[in-house]
Amino acid sequence: MAIYSFWVFDRHCNCIFDREWTLKSNQSSGTTNSKLNEDTAKLLYGMVYSLRSISQKLAGNEAHNEIRTIATGKYRAHILCTASGLWFILLSDLKQEDLSHVLRYLYGEIYVKTVAHNWLSPIDFAESEAEKRGQGFRKIRNRNFLLRVEQFLGPMVN
Amino acid sequence: MAIQTILVINRSGGLVYQRDFLPSAAKLTSNEYLILAGTLQGVVAIASQIAPKSLQISAKQGAKTGSELGDATQTVPYVGSLGSSAASAADLGSFLGPDFFNESFTSWNTKGLKHVTTDQNSLFLYQTLTGLKFVAVSTQNTTNAMAVSIAENLLRKAYCLYADYVMKNPFYEPEMPIRCELFDKKLGELVAQL
Repeated sequence: MAIYSFWVFDRHCNCIFDREWTLKSNQSSGTTNSKLNEDTAKLLYGMVYSLRSISQKLAGNEAHNEIRTIATGKYRAHILCTASGLWFILLSDLKQEDLSHVLRYLYGEIYVKTVAHNWLSPIDFAESEAEKRGQGFRKIRNRNFLLRVEQFLGPMVN
Repeated sequence: MAIQTILVINRSGGLVYQRDFLPSAAKLTSNEYLILAGTLQGVVAIASQIAPKSLQISAKQGAKTGSELGDATQTVPYVGSLGSSAASAADLGSFLGPDFFNESFTSWNTKGLKHVTTDQNSLFLYQTLTGLKFVAVSTQNTTNAMAVSIAENLLRKAYCLYADYVMKNPFYEPEMPIRCELFDKKLGELVAQL
């Protein structure tokens, strides 16, 4: 299995999109925006946040030093942090060495075109003050976004 | 690949040894290094918790059919003498032969954090069976499998030095910061070989 899951976090520490594939043989298997993934999303966010603060410390006060990949014994996480505070995270197997171009495409060609350029989609996925501290529950439910993510990442699953 | 820093973290997440090898590298205070060590310890624990579901499913199926595919042990290939072989003539403490070891070895860190890359650096983590962690920070970002195995070999050699010059020191208290001149010196020589 080449890729396992795809996550988007916004600047309020909320997971606004998650997609997890479970079967290699079936590209439509798995879950989208699942409630069951809430805890995993928080753990993932915490891991990336901690390592990001480490990398920023290691860079000193020079140019910023963004995190790119995190590898464990079982999987590799690829990370793209945008200036607007969005994090795009893709979990893959250890054979994929660098998927930053895939993340760039997901951001530039899919997120920007179907969510940011969409007047019907909210600009910010936290509507009240109470949702701005990682307590949000809103997800990207945009049909075009879901469809294009599926079309683009589906073939990479196996 | 130049090694910027080597850290040793004990099993409770405390920093017991830290050394910078590049004078040009960003300077962190000792307090910041302590925080870094504690954070890494936490991240290692978290990283093992968020294994993708498909891996959990295949591990379960592997256990049912009796195959060991689910929790296969990973081996790290032996990378011949790192860099120059001039130093290999020197004695290796209580290790015989031209090098500390000459075979591929098992990685005990099967689930936890192993390797992190950022725009400028990469971090490599080597974990021992007793929970001790060796961390190397290098000044190059690479996800190349060869670079990772070189780093694991280097850190295993650092572990060999630890076993020799720290564990056999009667004045060393377990889990406390390492202050051993010989360990310092030998580690410096090891990193200089790269």
